[in-house]
Amino acid sequence: MAFLELTRVSFSYPKRGRRVLTEIDLALDRDEITAIVGPNGGGKTTLTKLMIGVLQPSGGQIRLDGRPLAGYSLGEIGRRVGYVFQNPDVQLFCGTVAEEIGFGLTNRGYKPEMVEERIQFYLDYFELGVYRNVFPLHLSRGEKQRLAIAAVLANEPLFLILDEPTAGLDAYRKKLLADYLQKIARLGRGMILVSHDEPFVGRMAERVVALKDGRIQSDSGRKGNAAYEA
Amino acid sequence: MVVAGLSGCGKSTLCFCLCGAIRHNRDGVLAGEVLLNGKNVRELRAAGLALEVGMVFQDPDTQLFSPTVEDEIAFAPENLCLPPGRIRERVEHVLDLLGIAALREANPYRLSGGEKHLVALAAVLALDPPVLLLDEVMSSLDSAGRKKVAAVLERLRGAGKTIIAVEHDLEAVDFADRLMVMEKGALLRYGRTETLLADRDFMGEKLWHSWN
Repeated sequence: MAFLELTRVSFSYPKRGRRVLTEIDLALDRDEITAIVGPNGGGKTTLTKLMIGVLQPSGGQIRLDGRPLAGYSLGEIGRRVGYVFQNPDVQLFCGTVAEEIGFGLTNRGYKPEMVEERIQFYLDYFELGVYRNVFPLHLSRGEKQRLAIAAVLANEPLFLILDEPTAGLDAYRKKLLADYLQKIARLGRGMILVSHDEPFVGRMAERVVALKDGRIQSDSGRKGNAAYEA
Repeated sequence: MVVAGLSGCGKSTLCFCLCGAIRHNRDGVLAGEVLLNGKNVRELRAAGLALEVGMVFQDPDTQLFSPTVEDEIAFAPENLCLPPGRIRERVEHVLDLLGIAALREANPYRLSGGEKHLVALAAVLALDPPVLLLDEVMSSLDSAGRKKVAAVLERLRGAGKTIIAVEHDLEAVDFADRLMVMEKGALLRYGRTETLLADRDFMGEKLWHSWN
């Protein structure tokens, strides 16, 4: 059974007639990196917001880890699926960079020494050490992006959704991110990359799902399947 | 001209200095002088600055505020006190130019990330300033959007506009005449785009260009 399973999922925003997503069927596992690509306004971000329960489908069903998503609390979903928003400003809220990285772990009752160890690791890896005590919203866009990613990764979720993770990143930081994501993917962490960054998608994705006008236009399928081309 | 450099090197801050934001609504001490068309940005009032320079911010949420896309684009020409017919003309022109006419009735705040960037750009283009500052407008656009914006920028260059674009993806702006590479708040190199791109060792070492 797939980790994340969407069956005939449709969605329209309340009070607006236009359907954003129409009958999406998609099954994602924890051992693959899937890219969701497609034109602006095609429904990519909406689709991923449905997957973490911040939006409710107007039709169809979503199952996470074998259970209907509607039966989970947002907190329970958050422990399983980490989500990096397109705009890091909407997810950074702590007083310092270090607190931001440690927030999830502290709230799950990890010992302070262990939290500190993880904070130090992510500060080092994403080269944010000099900003340890800085107010996150004073960082540059690229630095905020790295911090938002680090804060989500520090929670070690089972599955990751990254919406335009390379926006604001220079090529060197993109490489650091790519290396890290590939490493955790090998450790059995599935992920979705929503991206227009074709070189990045080409390098990272094992499966590419193209979304246009709210419908799946193509799906390369799982690597190794006959349907897989790329 | 394109401004490149690793994140945190000061590209956006440079834009804030150039557009006068540091003096008007952002903290910071600006030393030295920034002259726009011979006028010192310190001495220009906000309304005067708007006639000289238009900036598209990295985060479009910070500059969109109108209830519809059309209102957003009409805001600047309305405040220039243009006659209604001319305002209409400008709005239609930029909607068409960026291919976003279908979004005219939409609430800018509810658009997707890439669409917001196009609307923010449209609103600045409607102002028609001689200098355009674009802080990573390409990053959230799909390939069709990038091509459209690139074509618009090339046309504006032909019409004598000065365009300064901050970008990480140098392929998206390879038509630029000049490239400026920054490092740790300082100018590292400035020159013709093809000359700098041809220096693969430099681009590789400073920007990891080849990896991209």
